[in-house]
Amino acid sequence: MNDRSSDGSTAAAETAYRVLVVDDDPDMAAFLSHLLQGEGLSVETAADGASALMQVMTAPPDLVLLDVMMPGTSGFEVCRQIKGDEATALIPIVLVTALEDSESRVRGIEAGADDFLSKPVKREELIARVKTLRRLHDTRKELESRRLAAEVQRKEAIRKAFSRYISPRLADRIADAAGEHGDPFQGRAQRTSLVALFADLRGFTRLTEKNEVGAVVAMLNEYFAVLTEAAYQHDGTIFNMAGDSLLVGFNVPFAQPDAAERAWRTALEMVARFGPVAAAWRERHGLSVGVGIGMCAGEAIIGNVGSTHYASYTIIGNPVNTAARLMQMAAAGEVLVCGPLYERIRHLVPAERVATRGDVKLRGKSEAIPVFAVRAGGREQA
Amino acid sequence: MTDDNRTVIVAKDLADLIPVFFRNRQKEVETLRAALAAGDFEQLRQLGHRMKGVGNSYGFVKVSELGKRVEDSARSADKAGIDGCIGEYADYLSKVQIVYE
Repeated sequence: MNDRSSDGSTAAAETAYRVLVVDDDPDMAAFLSHLLQGEGLSVETAADGASALMQVMTAPPDLVLLDVMMPGTSGFEVCRQIKGDEATALIPIVLVTALEDSESRVRGIEAGADDFLSKPVKREELIARVKTLRRLHDTRKELESRRLAAEVQRKEAIRKAFSRYISPRLADRIADAAGEHGDPFQGRAQRTSLVALFADLRGFTRLTEKNEVGAVVAMLNEYFAVLTEAAYQHDGTIFNMAGDSLLVGFNVPFAQPDAAERAWRTALEMVARFGPVAAAWRERHGLSVGVGIGMCAGEAIIGNVGSTHYASYTIIGNPVNTAARLMQMAAAGEVLVCGPLYERIRHLVPAERVATRGDVKLRGKSEAIPVFAVRAGGREQA
Repeated sequence: MTDDNRTVIVAKDLADLIPVFFRNRQKEVETLRAALAAGDFEQLRQLGHRMKGVGNSYGFVKVSELGKRVEDSARSADKAGIDGCIGEYADYLSKVQIVYE
C-alpha cells in the first residue's frame, strides 16, 4: 500500500469553487490537490470511479479532474455517467490522460469530457485550464442567476396582473405555467362552456339611504371582501364588480371539470360568510340585508371586450344573462339555479332545501327555463 | 525542474509532499519485483504507466522514463528488460539528490 491516502477531503479553502480530483495514484492526487489549493480552490479527492460517482451525486463539485486509467470503473465510464445525468451533466470534466494517448482523447470526447490534461502534468497548464473552466463556470452561474431573477420578476408581474381577477393561488398557478402555455388572458376571444355566478346585496338601497357615503363605502368593501374570499376559496374568476353585484366564472380561463360543484360551494360560502356581517349591520345600523345569488351553466364567449382605451376581460352570453336575471329574483340567502346546472349539483343539495319554481320566463328571454330555488342558509330578508 | 546527474530541482512548495512520494517509490520497486517474479505483466504495465504519469509531474524525469520502459517491456513480456529497469530504478532512488528552488 502507498503511504498517502487519496480518499477524503484534503482542503477547505474559503472559496466556493470546489474541485474533485479522481485518481487511484495517491501521489498524483496529492500533487494535483496541492497545486489547486495553491490557487485558493477547495479540493476533495476520490481514489476510484465508484467513490467519485458517489461524491458527485451527494455534493456536486464545480469541476472534476478525472484520471482515465483506474481499477474498477474507468474514467470514461465515470465521465459518461456524470454527463448522462441531467443533475450533473453541466459539471465540467477534465480528463487526465497520457500525452501520447490520442485514442483515450477520442474516447474521452465521446464520453462527454470538456477538456484534457496530459500526464506528466505541467503546473502552468493545469492552472490555466482550471482558470478557464472556472471563468466559464462563473459566467454560467451569473447568467443563470440573472435568468432566475428575470423569471421571478416576470412571474410576479403576471401574478400582480391576474390577481385582480383570480385567487392568489390560481395566479401562482398561471405564473408557473406561463412559460409553458402562454398567457391565458392574452388569447383571442373564444366560446367556451362555463358556470356563471352572480351575487348581489339584498337591502342595498336601504343601506345607501340610511348611511353616510363614507360608511356605505366601508360597508360595501366589507361585503365584497367576504364574497371575494369565498370566490377565491373555490378558485373562481372574478369578472365584474359593479354597484353591489359580483360576477364570478368557473371553468374559465382554466378548465375545472368540477366547475358546477365549485360554483355551488362558492354560493354556500358567500351566504355563510356574509351571515355574521349581516348580523352585525342589523345590530349597528338596524339594517336587514342578505346575499341573493343566481347561477347558470352554458356556452359563453370569454375574452377582452372594449376599446383600445378601455377593455375588460369578461364573459358574455346566455348563461351570464340568465344568472343575472336569477340573481335579481333571488331573495336574501337564496340561490336560484337554472335547470341544467341544478342537475349537475343535485347530489350536493339537501332535498328539503330545494323548491322548484317550474319553468320561468325571464325578462328579455323568449323561452321559459326550469328554475330551482335553494335556501342556502341565510335568513336575512330584504 | 530538471534531471542533471541525479540531481533533481523540485519546486519548493512541493517539499512537504516529497518524503511520502519517495516512500511510495521505494515500495513501488518492491511491488515491481514481486510482479516480475509472478510474471504478472498486466500489473507491470499498470505500474509502469503510473510511474510514467507521476514521476515527471513531481519533476523526476528519470522515473517517467523508466516507467515508459517498464510499460513497453511489459507489453512485449520482456522480463530481462523489466528486470534491468527495476535495478536502474532502485539505484536511482538510492542516489538521487533533491534541490528545492
